[in-house]
Parts: sequence; structure tokens; C-alpha cells
Amino acid sequence: MKKKLFFTLSLLALFAFTGFAQKTVSGTVTDATGEAMIGVNILEVGTSNGTITDLDGNFSIEVSDDATLEFSMVGYTPQQIEVGSQTVIDLVLEEGVALSEVVVTSLGISKEKKALGYAVTEIGGEDFTEARELNVANSLAGKVAGVNVSNIASGPGGSSRVIIRGNSSISGNNQPLYVVDGIPIDNTNLGSAGMWGGQDWGDGVSSINPDDIETMTVLKGSSAAALYGSRASNGVIMITTKKGGKRKGVGVEVQSNYTFENIIETFDFQKEYGQGDNGKRPTTEPEAYASNLYSWGEKLDGRSTIQFDGQSRPYSDVGDNLSRFYQTGSTWTNSLSLSGGDENYNFRFGVTNLQNEGIIPNSGLDRNTFTTNTSGKFGKLSASFSGTYIRENVQNRPRLSDSPGNANYTAWSMPANVDVNSLLGPNGNGTNDEGTELLFNDNIYVTNPWFAAYNFVGSNTKHRAMGNTTLRFQFTDWLYIQGRAGIDSYTERRTSIEPYGTAYKPLGGMSELERRFTETNIDLIIGADKTLDNGIGISAFVGGNQMERSFETLGGSGNNFNVPFLHTLNNLANRGTSYGISEKAINSVFGSVELSYNSILYLTATARNDWFSTLPVESNSILYPSFTASFILSDAVNMPSFVSFAKLRGGWAQVGGDTDPYQLNLTYALVGQGHFGAPLGRISQGRIPNFNLQPSETSEIEIGADFRLFQNKLGIDVTYYDKVTSNDILFASISQTSGFGSQVVNIGELRNTGIELLLNITPIKRTDFSWDMTFNFANNQNEVVSLLTPEQDGESIRVSESRTRSAYIHHEEGQPYSVIKGFKYARDAAGNIQYDENGYPVRGEFDVLGNGVHPTTLGLTNKFRYKNFQLSVLVDGKFGGDIYAATNAFAYLRGLHKNTLVGRTDGNVGGSKTLPLDEVDNYYSQIYNITEEFVEDASFIKLRQFTFGYNFPRTMLESTPFSEVSLSLVGRNLLLLMSKVDNIDPESTYSNGNDQGLEMFGVPQTRSFGFNLNVKF
Amino acid sequence: MKSFLNKFYLLGLIMTLTMVSCDEGFEELNLNPTQANELDPKFQFSYVQLQTSGERYENWRAALIYSSTMIQHLSALATYWSGDKYLFNSGYSSSLFDRAYSNYIKDIQDLVNNLETSGENPEMLAMARIWRVVAFHRVTDIYGDIPYSEAGKGYIEGITAPKYDSQEDIYKDMVAELEAAIGQLSGGGRSFGSADFIYGGNTDQWRKFANSMLLRLGMRMSKADAALAEATVRKAISGGVMTSNADIAMLQHSSGPEGINQNGIGQVFLADDNQRMSKTFIDWMTNHNDPRLDVLGYMAVGGAHVGLPNGYDAQTIASVGSDDLNTYSRVNPKLVTVDAPMIFMTYAEVELLLAEAALRGWHSGDAATHYNNGVKAAIQQWEVYDASLAVSDADAEAYLAANPFSAAEGMRMIGEQYWAATFLNEYEAFANWRRTGYPALTPTDYPGNQSNSQIPRRLRYPDSEYGINGDNIQAAISRQGPDEFTTRVWWDK
Repeated sequence: MKKKLFFTLSLLALFAFTGFAQKTVSGTVTDATGEAMIGVNILEVGTSNGTITDLDGNFSIEVSDDATLEFSMVGYTPQQIEVGSQTVIDLVLEEGVALSEVVVTSLGISKEKKALGYAVTEIGGEDFTEARELNVANSLAGKVAGVNVSNIASGPGGSSRVIIRGNSSISGNNQPLYVVDGIPIDNTNLGSAGMWGGQDWGDGVSSINPDDIETMTVLKGSSAAALYGSRASNGVIMITTKKGGKRKGVGVEVQSNYTFENIIETFDFQKEYGQGDNGKRPTTEPEAYASNLYSWGEKLDGRSTIQFDGQSRPYSDVGDNLSRFYQTGSTWTNSLSLSGGDENYNFRFGVTNLQNEGIIPNSGLDRNTFTTNTSGKFGKLSASFSGTYIRENVQNRPRLSDSPGNANYTAWSMPANVDVNSLLGPNGNGTNDEGTELLFNDNIYVTNPWFAAYNFVGSNTKHRAMGNTTLRFQFTDWLYIQGRAGIDSYTERRTSIEPYGTAYKPLGGMSELERRFTETNIDLIIGADKTLDNGIGISAFVGGNQMERSFETLGGSGNNFNVPFLHTLNNLANRGTSYGISEKAINSVFGSVELSYNSILYLTATARNDWFSTLPVESNSILYPSFTASFILSDAVNMPSFVSFAKLRGGWAQVGGDTDPYQLNLTYALVGQGHFGAPLGRISQGRIPNFNLQPSETSEIEIGADFRLFQNKLGIDVTYYDKVTSNDILFASISQTSGFGSQVVNIGELRNTGIELLLNITPIKRTDFSWDMTFNFANNQNEVVSLLTPEQDGESIRVSESRTRSAYIHHEEGQPYSVIKGFKYARDAAGNIQYDENGYPVRGEFDVLGNGVHPTTLGLTNKFRYKNFQLSVLVDGKFGGDIYAATNAFAYLRGLHKNTLVGRTDGNVGGSKTLPLDEVDNYYSQIYNITEEFVEDASFIKLRQFTFGYNFPRTMLESTPFSEVSLSLVGRNLLLLMSKVDNIDPESTYSNGNDQGLEMFGVPQTRSFGFNLNVKF
Repeated sequence: MKSFLNKFYLLGLIMTLTMVSCDEGFEELNLNPTQANELDPKFQFSYVQLQTSGERYENWRAALIYSSTMIQHLSALATYWSGDKYLFNSGYSSSLFDRAYSNYIKDIQDLVNNLETSGENPEMLAMARIWRVVAFHRVTDIYGDIPYSEAGKGYIEGITAPKYDSQEDIYKDMVAELEAAIGQLSGGGRSFGSADFIYGGNTDQWRKFANSMLLRLGMRMSKADAALAEATVRKAISGGVMTSNADIAMLQHSSGPEGINQNGIGQVFLADDNQRMSKTFIDWMTNHNDPRLDVLGYMAVGGAHVGLPNGYDAQTIASVGSDDLNTYSRVNPKLVTVDAPMIFMTYAEVELLLAEAALRGWHSGDAATHYNNGVKAAIQQWEVYDASLAVSDADAEAYLAANPFSAAEGMRMIGEQYWAATFLNEYEAFANWRRTGYPALTPTDYPGNQSNSQIPRRLRYPDSEYGINGDNIQAAISRQGPDEFTTRVWWDK
């Protein structure tokens, strides 16, 4: 049979069928030691019919007469058993690298991994629950080849940025589609900081509870995702939630996790010179007040020197201001789940409570999650329901980037001789006696950090309900129909207060906002799975999906509180209301056919047609196909004995895409509430609409190979892909003098090519001791191939700007996506920096200075097991990307940076001439405007994760009610092993949008330590 | 089993029906239910007028931090008040440019285009065209060559990278526009009525305003093109200019309900208390025993007015005076409230321009009479802010008697009075000082300044234009000179 490698599509004609008898097979699965194995996957090959073993290793499954059952479990070598006439199958599973894992793929359909013509990575739930991240997506960092996770410096409840195989759209969403139990969920970013400051209001995945995750599966390529449509063109992250299984009684699992976190001190500011201006210390209170943000004073000498509050204090280093301001944060997570079931019915109910206190005083996050999963089988009909309710309350999301209300900005800017605690004031919260902001410098926009932390409010509460219900009817053993309806709906209530007495807004202001999001998905699938006598298997389905989403915003806001310190909308002298809505829908039909031949060759073709509500009626439809093939080389030909498994795979896929609603027509909006009774109206768009838009198109070729050698001790999985997005719908920035900031155009082309490498090595494997290494590496080369049509001026799109107004993020033809642009030093032909008549460096040309996205990512996990002890260490790194460190630019302006020590005693700053001492500060302030100085290599290596655990042996637990107990010490982000950036963490961007590479006074990165206790009854 | 089956089919049917029903309104889903496809021109005109008055943003940066301190109306020690220190701050320098095109030029172009297309309301069109000149002339006066003929037409004509027109061409076109609009003013059609915050739709006052604008633009060209300047000035005068303080072109703001209703300068003073009256301005008033001292200035601690010298910071001030800001005169809080009017042009300016025209021989009137009218109006005009700021005829006349007009010193006197009359209309004050050189201001010498210790002659373009409209801005620079503070705009050469 192995030699029959060839067949044609004419075999489709064999897609004729007859009914098959059903029978029940049962048995017990044990491991080599005779211990019953729980949770072994049992799948009827060629179908999606399956079950898992219960607590005692027992299973029972109804199968067709000629069925082959596959038994698999992660970490064990799967086995296939032809049922034949057997009704009882008892089996011993051998440990080993699983070759034929069953993975969940598009639309929640389980497939044998070896059948897939594309790369898929599955991560078990324990990877998210032991050493935790508040945003579960951040836990993916370093674990999956080709998945680039950016740690956003925005504090608890902040967003994540996960990019799979590079950014493929200039203006659209580049993050993957998150799918929970087969139904897409929303991952909209609810707001992030920009050049003028702001807060990160979180995203959709940030509220997912890791305790309910059974597995997370990353479908990287377009072909893996073709069946989810346009939103899956950036890959899909499928979350499968935990379900109940067959067991005796009710299973109880308790998990408790406590961690505390501290800032990682990367700051190395100068501590030699103190507060002052023009090389002089302040001598009067007004002088001290005016220069409190500047470290251009004299050498610290301990002499009593006046400060902003009129008090004289020694002119000497006051020590570590950051550890005075930032506190120790903590996160305390407790979860309880109940589960149970029998052959036909199972349930799981889980509840999790998370309480976090942030490192910034008076900030934190609480999250409660309730989830339930039930499914039942009633003969040929099966039904399942899963539902989750999440209540998340984030207190005081930190303000980032620009200074107003940004505590980080000020805490980092203190001169060496000024104690940040001196800004606490009589009430200990940054206020003065009247309760208004205690001012400490003459720039009212640089807010007292204590006042920002204790008096500003930027909090939100999210109530989110997600769920889906599935009905499946198995007409015969090979033909089924399945209907599913899912919903993700949340209401976000947001309160922002700039309190009465804020220096830059003396009468204060506030806003209350409510946002309602709903996405519904309804789909219907008719499918057939059949293996024919001659070894040919067919698995096919057709279906339709309807997606609708709406985003509604209702708010009230205003300024100037009438009654001081009464912070409520009704107390505002000036107030207004706002309402907005954004709606879209996508209708789709799709189909898939998979042909397999003797588990050696698998061919899959899919097609999907989408109709987008956001595009013009004449051009709102796009049909796109995919083809993939998987060839199990090791089953087809005789391989050398050291080859345990060899597979080649390849695929080609296309995905269409649309854009945001309301991009087609120019419309007018009314502004405010009029002026003296006259209504005010204006053009509502800042972006020129375009009524000729077409769908965008991404096509991707992927080839790969998967080898397991030396009895699975070495696994190599490599992938090469080439992904091209054309007709990308982008918001091209244009000259503001056109009246608009950008225009919607259909002209972008981007290309991502890359390789992904995954190595699994087991150097030692003994009964008592084992050592497993997993190494992943990916390199993605991104190029913006084309942005504008030739007749238009310019080939560069500006996405964002730094608050320093001298650094920008552009997408530019011939460059990678998201490059940092700015001003270089003016240099002569020999490369020498040019100086003006004052002796200051001259700002030169405007050019590309760095790459905001790291092209290379890698991760190395070492797992050691000695008896019941387990040690796991993850080191990850990113290379080749840069960051514009605005914090360092400000450190130059303010005289905090160590480099500004040069020339302070003699005026010899290393430029064209010796400067008068009172102009040294001007010299460095001039460099502040020269972007080149602050674009730094952001490559890094971090000790990302550490867990050290102990599983209490069953013998110890026999006399207890517990069936399993494990305890582990855990840590995240423990060490910055390599970094080339001065003063800031290389992972410090404040935006999770398409403008990567800008840093400015974000929340410092933290390291966390703690323990995790897991108890099962 | 059967019953399950039936239920399943029922559910399938419901799902199918749901999918079909959802399909209705698929196209309508992409029409934003909160927005309109057409707009009454009144609403847009109201909006444009308010926006031209300006947000806090550009009033703070371009008008106050730069213009007002460069011409020594105001002064500050805080180093971010870069204007009188001649320090370059990219965002401050480009703030008017950054806001003008997106906030009002876009909508005024759309409004003019819609009114032209419909052709039904010539009077509205005329007022919109006049207002478009008001909007553009301030921007070109500050920056020189700017996008003009192609500006704000991103949607109308699909122009995404507008060319920079030479200021000479812009001025010639603005003059032609004003003349054409004046001819159109009696064309009939609907009236803006109360949607016009300046004159309530009064065509006579609009005609006077348009001619007064023509006078301002004409006189602005006196150095660059005297012949055109004279012809324009003569046309303006014969057309009929403002005749009293009742004709002042101003927009009355209100304290709310929202930020857009408020005076941008008032918003600055609510947020920022670093700025004080300049020593130059206080001394000038003190030396002339000016009744405006207590109208424009305010000494919180009482006593004689003390102006803050320009060009110092909190440390360097020690060599010339106190570093305690409470010892210096503030701007009278009654002038800088959030519900204060914003003044675009005054009758006083018109009379002073007429006096200059008479001195130049471009106008047959009597220079001294126009001067006296202008100064008196300038002293008394502040009552539009608050009735308590009224100055009696007697006090104003006493001032004129003590400081009589002298033809020999005429240009200086007119220039100084124009400077005082345009307090808080800092764009205009800065422009007229550059043209006339009066008052004779002493430049400051702040360490590290970026204008060779000279008072800047313009503000610099936004950095953003270099990246996104590079060829066009480079063409402007090669025509006008380097993008520096010290480069002179066309009418200043």
C-alpha cells in the first residue's frame, strides 16, 4: 500500500457512499508503569469523531465497523489501532515526542497534525497559568517561531501586540484573529497613547482568563486561516477552553498564584551635577522653581541649597528616586473549577479571581471570570454550549508619553539632588494645603507625579459576555450538519478625571464614556468524512457565515467644576455629549475538500467568498482559494533508521480584506452645541474618502519540512514563506495643507518573506531525569514594495510622531514596515559633524534612521525533570530592531544623561569650539532636536520565564483528599541579559498600533516572582 | 429521537432566516447614521469663523509665545516661552500652519466651492470669499510662501500635495478676491444672518470690512510693490472703509458650553500664568502717561506698573530685576477671559492706515485727523471687552493733547500707535512691525538664540511638510530663502 503514492482527483467520483454500521469500543489506556492515563485523545481516523480517557484511563467510543482509532497524548507516541472485530482495546502508550498530535484547526475542526500542509504550533494551558502575564497574549513571547510579541510599556490591563510572520497591512489591523472555541472574539484596542500622551485602554485578548485555556493553537499562515476570512490573513490564535471529561464524581481543581513585581532598574542618569540652569545652582526660590526639571547646575557639593518649596537642603545626591516612587506590585490569582461527565455528557464550571496592584501607586486591576462549558450527545445529535462572563476593573491606567498627568515622566526627570518625596506635600498626595496640585516647576504641563497618581482618574470597568452554542447532527457516520452561533459582547464604562486644582487645568475636567461592542457570528456547515476501502479518505464541507459587529459610544464630558473637588458630570460648567456608532458586516460562503491517501499524502483545497459591507456594492465581493499538501515521506519510502518521521508540506493561499466602515463618502457632522444659537457644522472626515475601493488581497506560499530523528530525540521543523499583500487599503498621509491628514487608497503592496525553525532536542531521557530543549528562531524580511501610484508625490506614509516632534514613524517604499525617520547630524564629506557659529551641532537631512520592528526573534526553553522536580527556563531575544528613545532626548535636554557631563567643567563639549559654561546646556538642548542621537539598537536577550516545580507523589497523597498537588516557584522577565539601549528597557514602546519604535516615559518594565499552587481533588 | 430531529430542523430554519433577515440593510450599514451628506452653508460658515478665531493651541504658541513676545507686548521667564529668546521650537513655530489648513481652510474651501456650484446665494458666497482672505493672509504673513491656490482641496480636486504659491501671487490674488467679493455683496440670495458672528449678515458692514481688509493688504505691500500698494489703498478708500468702533471685526466668544465656544487666548490665560506685560510696552505707556495702562495692565500687588524685560529666564533675570513674577504687571484679566471677543480688525487700525496713506500722499485726507481718530478709537476700543474698560473722551483727548501728532515723526508715531492698538491681535502687530519697523524695538540677546540676536522676521514651516510635501516646500525655500527665522517674506524684503 505504501508504494501507491499517486492518485488523481478522479477519485472524487468515489465520493459515493453507503451507510455503515456503528458499534461501541471501550478499553483502558495506561502508561509504561501501568498507571492509568487521563485525558488521552482518541480519534476515529478520517473523522472528527473522538473522545478522551477518564480519570481511570477508561474510554468508550462509538465507531464505524472498519474504523481505525488513533490514541494520542502530548509527550507520548501515538498509536493507531484498526478496530476490526475488537470491542475492547487496552493499550499502553509509550512516552515519546508525539508525531500525530491532533490539533484544532480552522472552524474548530480537529485534524491530525500530520495532515496539515502548513505550520501549526500548539501550546498547553499550563504555559499560561504557571508564570503568568496579566495579558495572556504576552505569555506567547519567545515560545513560537515567527510570533513576534511586543511588551507594551503601559501597565496593568494594557494591550499586547502579537504579530505573526510580519506586518502585512499598512493601515489595517496586523494582529491575528483570536478565536475561542471556534468563534472569533474581538481584540479591538480601546485606545492607546500617542504623541500628546494618553492611556492604553486595553484590548480584547487582555481580559481572557488563562485558567480556562486548555490549549492555544497558533495558525501562522494564510492557508491555515483561509476559512476564517479576511481577518485571519494575519494568522489565527485559537483558544480551546477546558472541558469536562468522563470521570467519577465531580473533579475539583484549585489553583492559586501569587507574584510580586518590581521595576527593572535600567536608568543610569548622571548623579554628579545637581539642579540648576546655565551651570549655576538656584539661589532663590523662584529660580529653584523655574529650574526644577533641569540638571544644569553645579557639581554636587553637599552645600545647603534652596529648592522649589523655599526649603534649603544639601546639594547632594538623594539616591534612588524611582524606588521611592514606584512601589512593589502584586498579583494574586485564585481559581476554582468543577468538572465532570460521562460518555454522553460533560460539564466544566470555573471561577477565577485576580487582584493586581500596580507599581504606580493607586493603580491596579481586578478581574473576575465565570465560565461554563457543557456538551451533550443525544444519539446522532450533539449540542454544546460554552459561555464566559468577565468583569474587569482597571484602576488608573497610567498616562504615557507626553507629560500632562504622566507620573512616569516626572518621576524619571528629577534632578539628582531633588527628592521625589519632597513633592508629596502636606497631604501626602502631591497637593498643597488647598488640595490643589503642588507645583514644583514652572511648566504646568509637567504634572507632580504624586498628584498624577493619587488625584487623576483614568479607570474603566468592562463587562464582557462571550459564548457560543453548537448543534451538530450526524446523519450517518460520515455526513453531518453543524450550526453554530456565537457572540462576543462587552460594555466598557470609562471615567477620566483631571481633578479640580490641576495646574494646567485649574478648574478641572472629566469625561464619562460608555462603549458597547457586539459581534455575532452565525455559521452553518454541512460536511462529510469518509475513508474508502482503497485507502483514500475524503473530508469535505461547505458552509456559510454571517458576521456582524457594531461599536457604539455614548459619552458626556466637559470642563470647569463649579463646586471645587466635586468630580461629577453634573458639576461641570461646560459640558457636552457625544454619540458615535460604527457598524459592519461580512457575509461569506466557503468550502473545503481534503483528500488523503493511506495517511501518506493529504491534499486540501478551500475556497471562500466574502461580501463586505464596508466596500462599494460594485466591488465588495472577493473569492479566494487555498491549496495545501502534506506528504509523509517516512511512510512513503524507506528512510535510514535514524529517521523516525519525515514530512514535507506546502501550500498556497489567498485572503481578501476590507477596511473600516464609512470610508466611501464625504459627510458632514455637527460640532458641539452651536454658538449663540447658531449650529456649527464641518466636514466630518480628516481622511479623504474614496468611493472606488476594492478588497485588498494577501497571497502566501509556504513550504516546510518536519523531521524527527534518533527515536524522536531530535526534531527539526523548518518553514519558508513568502507573503505578498497587494491592493492594500491604506490611509496614506498627505500634506495637511490639502485640508486632510490622509487619504484612503487601494495601492499598497507589502512583502514578508521569512524562515521559521523549531528544534526539539532531548539530550537526556532517563526514568528519573530528563532534559528537553526547545529552540525556536524566526527571521522575517519585510518590505514595503509600493505605496503610491507614480503620479503622486512622495512614497512615504507618516503614521505617527514623537512628542519631541523630531522623530516619526513612516512606512516607506523600499524599506521595512514601520521605520523610524528623523533628522541626522549635518556632516561634511568626511563624515564630520558640522557646527554652527555658536559651536552647536547642525541638524542635517531628514532620513530613515532605524527599523521599528525586530526582524529576528528567538526563544530557548530548557526543561529539566528530576523525579518529581521540574525546572523550566525560557530565554528569548529579538534582534535587528531599533527604538527612538525620547526619554534619552529629554535626558539630554534636562542634563540628566551621562553624556551631558562632557564639557561641564571646561566648556569643551567635543564640538568645534570651547563653549562658555552657561551655554553647555544649550549645546545639549540642540542635540535634543537631532533624532539620530536617540535612535538606538533595541536588540535584547531576556531571561523571560523561570519555573521550578514539585509534583507531590501520589503515594504521599493517598491519605489526603487530594489526587494531585503541585507547587512551583515562578518568575517572569527576570533579567535583561543583553541590551544596547541606555537608560530604558529595549521593550518600551507605548503604542500597540501600526507605529512601532517610539518610546517616551512609559511604565517601566517589571520583573515578577511568585509561587503557583495547583491542587486537584 | 424524532423530536430532537424536529427541533434541530427548526433551529436550522431559524438560523437560516436570521441570516437572510440580516442581509437586509447590508449596504445601508456603511452609511454613518450620525452624519449628513449635505450641510446648510450657515452652519459651516459659523464653524469656520469660530475656528479662524482659533483654538488655544495656536493662540498659545504662534500668537502669544512667539508673536506677542517677539514684538514685546508680553514677556516671560519660562524657557518654553521661546519667542523673545528667539529659540526655535518646531511645534510652536508651526502651530498656526498646523491648525489653519485642517481646522478652517479645508471647510472654507468646501463652503466656497459649494456656494459657487449652486450659484444661488451670491451674498453668502461673497462673505465666504472675504473670510477666506482673512484666513489666508494671516498664515502667509507669518510664514511667507504657503499653499494657497491648491490648498484645502484634497477632496474637491484630489490635490494631496499642494504647491506653495509665492506670497506676491497670493497677495495679488487676495486683492482680486476682495474686489470681486465686494462686487458680489449685493447679489442677493439668502443671508447668513445670525450665523455670521462678525456682523450678523449686515452687507454694509461687510463692505466696509472688505475695503478695510483691502486697505490692510494694500499697505502691507508698501515696501515690496509701492505702485500696487498705492493703487490698492486708493481703491479701498474709495470703496468705503470702517467708520467707527461699531465696525470692529470681532467675534464674541462665550464661556461655553464647550471649548469651541471659548476665546483661545482666554483659554491660554486660564492655564498659563507665566506671561507678563513687557517692559517695553509698559514703559512706552508710562512715558506717555497713557490712560490704557490700567486698561491693558493689572498690578496684582498694587503700585505702579512694572513691565517684565524681554529675553530673560528665571536665572538671567537676576542681573536686571526681580525674579518674582508677582512684582510685574499682568495682562488685565478682563481682556483675557474665555468669553472675550476675538478681534480681527479694528477701526483704529483703519484710521492709522489712512493717516499713513495721507503721509505717503496716497490719500487726500489729513494725516493728523486720521491719526487722532485712530488713537482715540484705539484708546476707547477696549470697552468691547468689558464696559468697565471704557475711557472717557476727555481722557483720550487729553492724551492726544499731551502727545500731539507731528508729521515729521508721523511714521514712527503711527507705527507705535498701531502696535498698541493691535495688542492681543498679535499676528497683525507682528506683521505691521516688520513692515514699518516701528516701534523701534531693541532685540534681546539670549544665550544660544537662533536668529543671531535679531527679532525674527517670520516663523518656520512645520517639519512634517519636509517629509510629505518635500518638492513643493523646497521650491518655496529656493524662491523665498532658507526656512529660518531671519528670512524675510516677500512684502518685508
